[in-house]
Amino acid sequence: MYKKFSFLMLVFLLVSIFAGSTAYASNPINVVDDLGYLSDIEIQQLQARIDAIKSAYTLDTVIVITDDTKGKDSTAYADDYYDYNDYGLDSQYSGLLLLINMDIREVAISTTGRAIDIYTNNRIGSMINNVTSLLSDGDYYAACNEFINNVITYADYGVPKGQYREERDPDLNYYNPTYLQKVARMLKLWPVYIIPLIISIAATLIISHSSKGKVTTTTRTYEKGGSFVLNQNTDQFIRENTTRTRIQSQSSGGGGRSSTHRGSSGRSHGGGRGRF
Amino acid sequence: MNSVKEYKCPNCNAPLEFNPPTQNWKCDYCAAEFKLEEIDTVHNEEASEQDMQELDSYKCGSCGAELIADATTSATFCLYCKSPTIIKTRFSGRFKPKSVIPFRLVSDEAKEIYREWISKKLFTPKEFKQKEEIDKVTGIYAPFWLFDCRADGMISGEATRVTSWRKGDYRYTNTKYYLVTRRGVAQYNRIPVDASKKLDDNFMFMAEPYHYDDLKEFSMKYMSGFMAERYDVESDEAKPTMEARAKKYMEDRLRSTVSGYSSFSIRDKNVALSKVDASYAMLPIYLLINKFKGKDHIFIINGQTGKVVGDTPISRLRQFVFAIIVFVVVWLICVFGGALIV
Repeated sequence: MYKKFSFLMLVFLLVSIFAGSTAYASNPINVVDDLGYLSDIEIQQLQARIDAIKSAYTLDTVIVITDDTKGKDSTAYADDYYDYNDYGLDSQYSGLLLLINMDIREVAISTTGRAIDIYTNNRIGSMINNVTSLLSDGDYYAACNEFINNVITYADYGVPKGQYREERDPDLNYYNPTYLQKVARMLKLWPVYIIPLIISIAATLIISHSSKGKVTTTTRTYEKGGSFVLNQNTDQFIRENTTRTRIQSQSSGGGGRSSTHRGSSGRSHGGGRGRF
Repeated sequence: MNSVKEYKCPNCNAPLEFNPPTQNWKCDYCAAEFKLEEIDTVHNEEASEQDMQELDSYKCGSCGAELIADATTSATFCLYCKSPTIIKTRFSGRFKPKSVIPFRLVSDEAKEIYREWISKKLFTPKEFKQKEEIDKVTGIYAPFWLFDCRADGMISGEATRVTSWRKGDYRYTNTKYYLVTRRGVAQYNRIPVDASKKLDDNFMFMAEPYHYDDLKEFSMKYMSGFMAERYDVESDEAKPTMEARAKKYMEDRLRSTVSGYSSFSIRDKNVALSKVDASYAMLPIYLLINKFKGKDHIFIINGQTGKVVGDTPISRLRQFVFAIIVFVVVWLICVFGGALIV
C-alpha cells in the first residue's frame, strides 16, 4: 500500500516536471487597462479572443493601456512590461505586446521569441497603421480588436519566405536619429559603395574610349537629296499569341526583415511604434 | 620641260602660296593677293593628261638643290630654301586628280586646335602633353577616291508588337507577329575612301564629312604652300570599303522606315550596287604624327571643317587617380546626401 502510494507520487512528480517543462506558466491577465477606456465586458471579450490565440498558435498576446511609462520610452516600457510580468508561452517566451501610451499618444508593439520572425518590420508597420487610425477616432475597443485580427492573420501566414533578423543599432531605437546617426547608418549600407564604384568605372571607360573622336557621318550624309525611293513597304500580319501570368500578391510575401534589439532583461525583442 | 612647278608672284617673283581665309593666292613677301583668274594669265600650265616619266630625282626650281621627298609625295617644300614645290609628274596622267577641296583652315588655327585638344585630354601623360611637337602640324592634301553609286536594297524580317494589360490576378501579354519587307533605291554621291597607305584609314574615316560645296576642279595652284600625297591604293582596292559602307547606309535607311513595333529583327537582306564610278580627289587635312615610347600617335584635323580626331597615349596611373576621385566624390554624395533623405 505504501509502496503503491510512493509509486503514484513518483509518477505524479515526473508528470508534473514533464508538464512544467512544456507548458510554461503564463500570466493569465492579457488585457491591462489602467485608464478605463474599455468596459469590463469588452475586456472579457478581448481576453476570450486572446485565450483562443494562445491555444491555437502558442503566442502570448498582451494589450496594455497606460499613461505612466515610468520614465521609459514606449518601446522600452513595452519590452519590460512583457519580460517582467511572466508573459510568453514557450521556451523562447514567444508572444507580442501592444502598448497604448496615452501620455504621448503613441502605440508600441513589442515582439518576443517566434513572434519576432512572424511579425516582420513590414507587418508591424501595417499593424501600427491599422491600430493608430482607429485610435485617432477614439475607438479603443475597435483598435484592440483590429490588433487581435492582425495577430491572427499573420500567425496564419506564418514566417514569410526570406525572413531574417537584423540586430538594430541601439542608437536607432530613438524616434528621430540625428543627422550623424543617419550618416553612420549610410556607411553600413552596401549600395553606398557599389553605386560609386559602378559610376567611377563607367566614367573612366567612357572618357578613355570617347577621346579618339566620334564618327559624325550618317546614312544620309552621302545620299543624294530626294533620291531615296521606297518601292515596297509591306507589313504582313502572320500570327498572334496571348499569354497570362499570375501577379504575385504582395500580402503573403514581402519584406522579410525583423529588426531586433535587447530589453533591460537581456531578452531580444522586435517591434515598432507610431503616433496617433 | 621642267619636272617641278613653282608659283611665283607676278610682281616680285617670291613664292606664291594658297591663302585659306581669302581662298586667293598671296605673296608673303610683297603682300599682294591674286585671284584664280589673275594667276591663270601668268601660270596657265596645268597638270598633264599624259603620264609623265618618273625621274630619279627632282631639283628645286628656286635654288637647284635636290628635293627630298617620298615616292608618293607630290607637293612639298624645298628643304633648303623652303620654296613650295610641286612635282608635276606626280599629278600627271592617271595621277591627275579630278577635283580638290581647298584648305579653309590656316596652319596657325590648326595648331591652336591641337593645343586646345591636347590640353583637354584627361588621361594623357604629362610628358606627352609637354612635347613641343606643335610646329610639326602639317597641312596635307590627302588622296581620296570619291565613289558615286546607285543602291537597290531589300530587307525583310519579323517584327512584333507587344501589348500588355491586367485583369484580376493575371497579367495578359499579347504578341502580334508581322512579316515586314522594305525595298528601296537611293543614289549615293562622293563617298570618300582614303587612297593613301600612309594615312590611317580609320582616322581618315572619322575626320569626315567634307562639305562638297567647296569642291573645285583640280588645279596644281591649290597645292602651293601645302604638302600633297598621290594615291597608292588603286580604286579597285578601295572599292570594297566603299561597298560595305554604301550597303550599310542602304540597310540602315530601309530599317529606319520600320516603325511602330516593339522589336524588329532582319532575317533576309540584299543590297546591290550599280553604276559605280570613282573619281580621284584631293581633300585637305592637318596631320601630326607624334612618336611616344616607340609608338606613333596620330592627330588629324579636317582642313575644311576643323573636325578633330586622334589618339594619345593613355596613362594607367591617371586613369586610376581619376577613377578614385570619381569614386570618392560619388561616395560622399551618397553618404551625406543619402542621410538627408533617409
